[in-house]
Amino acid sequence: MEIKNFLKNIFTYTPQPTYDFSLPDNNTNQTNADVSSKAENTETNQKSQTLYTSLSVNLDYIKSKYNLLINSDIITREFILNVKGKQYKAFLLYIDGMVDSQLLNDFVLQPLMMRNKNNLYDGEQNRVISEAISNNITVRKVKKFNLADYLESCLIPQNNIKQSNSFEDLFSGVNSGNCALFVDTLDIAFDIDIKGFKQRGVEKPENEIVIKGPHEAFAENIRTNTSLLRRFTNNENLVIENIDVGKLTKTKCAVCYMKNIANNDLVAETKYRINNLDIETLLSSGQLEQLISDNNSLGLPKVLSTERPDNAAYHLLDGRIVILVNGSPNALILPAILIDFLTSPEDRNLKTIFSNFLRSLRILASFFALLLPGLYVSVTSFHIEILPTELLYSILSAREGVPFPIIFEILIMEISFEIIREASLRVPSAIGTTIGIVGGLVVGQAAVSAGVVSPILVIIVAITALSSFAIPDYSFSFHLRVFRFLFILLGYMSGFLGIGIGLFVYLSLICDMDSFGVSYSLPYSNMENLKTSGIILPPIWQNEIRAPYLATKNNKKQEKYSMKWKLK
Amino acid sequence: MEKNRKINTISAIMLTLSIVVSYITSSIPRTLINETKSSTLLNIIYTTAIVLFIILLFCKLIKKFPGLDLLDISEYLGGNFFKNIVGGLFIFYFISSSSIMLRNFCEGLVVIYYPLTSYIVIIAMFIISLVLVNRLSFNSTINTSAIIFPIVIISIILLFFGNLHNFSFRRMYPILGDGWYNTFVLGLKNIGAFGGICYLYFLPPMLKQPEKLKKIAVISVITTGIFIAICVATLLFMFSFFITADEIMPLFSAARYIEFGAFFQRFESIFLLIWIISFCCYLSITCKFSTHIFAKMLNLSSMKPVLNIFAILIFAISLLPKNYASSIFFETGVYRYLRIAIGFILGMMVLLLANLKKRKVGDNN
Repeated sequence: MEIKNFLKNIFTYTPQPTYDFSLPDNNTNQTNADVSSKAENTETNQKSQTLYTSLSVNLDYIKSKYNLLINSDIITREFILNVKGKQYKAFLLYIDGMVDSQLLNDFVLQPLMMRNKNNLYDGEQNRVISEAISNNITVRKVKKFNLADYLESCLIPQNNIKQSNSFEDLFSGVNSGNCALFVDTLDIAFDIDIKGFKQRGVEKPENEIVIKGPHEAFAENIRTNTSLLRRFTNNENLVIENIDVGKLTKTKCAVCYMKNIANNDLVAETKYRINNLDIETLLSSGQLEQLISDNNSLGLPKVLSTERPDNAAYHLLDGRIVILVNGSPNALILPAILIDFLTSPEDRNLKTIFSNFLRSLRILASFFALLLPGLYVSVTSFHIEILPTELLYSILSAREGVPFPIIFEILIMEISFEIIREASLRVPSAIGTTIGIVGGLVVGQAAVSAGVVSPILVIIVAITALSSFAIPDYSFSFHLRVFRFLFILLGYMSGFLGIGIGLFVYLSLICDMDSFGVSYSLPYSNMENLKTSGIILPPIWQNEIRAPYLATKNNKKQEKYSMKWKLK
Repeated sequence: MEKNRKINTISAIMLTLSIVVSYITSSIPRTLINETKSSTLLNIIYTTAIVLFIILLFCKLIKKFPGLDLLDISEYLGGNFFKNIVGGLFIFYFISSSSIMLRNFCEGLVVIYYPLTSYIVIIAMFIISLVLVNRLSFNSTINTSAIIFPIVIISIILLFFGNLHNFSFRRMYPILGDGWYNTFVLGLKNIGAFGGICYLYFLPPMLKQPEKLKKIAVISVITTGIFIAICVATLLFMFSFFITADEIMPLFSAARYIEFGAFFQRFESIFLLIWIISFCCYLSITCKFSTHIFAKMLNLSSMKPVLNIFAILIFAISLLPKNYASSIFFETGVYRYLRIAIGFILGMMVLLLANLKKRKVGDNN
């Protein structure tokens, strides 16, 4: 039997099962998007829904609006309210992580649920509005008992409380950290200010520094992070689903997406991948990133990692999915394409002309980081005619005293530089700068003086290193650092021929990659419409549609004329 | 390989043009100038018009078979056997022409940059890249072409404008070259320069919007004509056609003369780098199309088992010519006619007969 199987394996071909997930293309999705877009418009055009008098109907409405079955941080607390000996059903709606639990317990729930025996003021004092005596008959004008007023003036000792009969207003309050009190028989609810989320307690971002944007970063606590996302999105359509990963650690992961924007298939695929992880421990978002993304031979990142809640919220509102891992101060954003790793959060805060300029610089920097040493080797070894005569003389005279072949020289410098970089990461931050100066300047200068390397090579290595630092994403920069060595070898072996062939294979591999069903090389490889391609960042007022490759439910981001003040 | 998505219109145009551009950068302009001398520009306008007419006819004929490629239509016309014959002929054409072009290209590289390296090593390097890329999806090749193509086009346009100061426009005279007979009758065989267009026969099932095939075809033909005209004009205005006919890679020679000030001179190797990548794209496209046709002929559910067969075949065939001269002879004397015979005559005949059959069947019904 074994021999038979062995022969069968050799002489027959059995297709290997391949896992393929792709998002529907834009055109097929367009119809659905149009329908949902119309639905959205109809929804917004409708008047804001007012409250019902029945508590259960209100509760059902909230359940459907906030997706309570799957949303992990939206809490409804049902209880019995005691008012003047009568009992009413009531519930509180709030977001875990955004309210102050102490305030909620002591100044909302306790006064409402206790029997109020100590409360001397029972509303009777103000009951009589006016009193007149005529013919020994006392005529009193008595105010009718009003439960809502009584609750507000007698039972909720809060400084900021509003009555509202609109769900929209109440949801807005809840999304910003208030709690809403719904009472049976009342067609109004109370928006009570008990905000309690951490503000600026969270640290400043250390790696994604921007000048004009907010200076808040994710923390290790998942609830703090979800509250940050809630605050930035401020919309009830944000769904945060909790999934436990790891048999031993049972690490909480939150899958966050906008219910009315994100593609359902994408959401389902993400949850499917996370739910089907058979691992014992999960300790960081970096591990989860590797576990849920497809393998690729280039080692390119397929999921964007950010420490900025505003960046995560931006991508959420664009139709992507954000994953938070308890214990990790980073959010994973997916799907991510190549250009995302060359985009900085600062780009959105700058004027288009500058952000496009910076993005072009980063693309150039990535090109240098990957190819510059390889090109230098191939030019000096095979294609010296490309150099102007004066420069050629200068390079040749600089290399005069160097005893090593060019490949050895460049490898010495590149490897030394990588060691310096690694060393500066490991040492305490106080002497990290010193390591950089000693390693970069002193060793470089000494190597040139000793005739180990030529000065021009130091310039090449320095430009390459600076270029790799200009890449906003650490993982992508890492990839370029490693593959640079391959191009150095190709350049040394066969000049531009080797680099050309290597570049072709490299590009083909990139073009073959997918990130959660989205082609990795978009928008440069599969352009359908120059206007919507995303090759050039449009001005913020022209940012009318979401990226077509995300196949969102609602393509429209904003109106065609967003700056309506100009039309007057 | 199985992970294939539909191609959009722009990518399809770029795919077709990527094939043609490789012809252009390697040897086509030289062959054309050799054939029609100073009347080449006139001849290109003439052949473009004829190819445009053929392609419009093709679109009209294929309209009755929406979403079907030439293989499906052949099957409809003559059954499975006929489909295999047509498929086999096209595979033969794709593989053999790309092999000979690879040989010529590598021989050119040996002469220009690698005199101490055997051409076999250089061919092997291309084949290794082909083997590496073959296991990737068809879309990977299409996307790579879409990225590379604009850069190649910029290089061709730069070649033209960068050499403007070297142009002598008098070289286009006599405008009719060796006479009207040579230009318009014998010069008809120059439609072989548009051989890349015959890949369109196999595109319809891959297109996202098959109804835009006409747009793709027409734009491809016109753009191809323009690119050939630009390259021919560059060579014709720069060199005497006697020199051009003898150059190994004439466009490369033209690139040598580009200079912007004292610093930017002699950057022809950059052009070569771009054309090498473009040539890799062409080889990959050819290989992918051949594999696709082969898998369709044999109804293979997976292309993986046959992926590298065609890469090995290209390698073997490219080694067949004894020397560069015989390789050039194959290209100018054999494959030019093969392009016309298979690419235009066979394809159009199949479509024409299939249409007649459809009409007849329709009438009988």
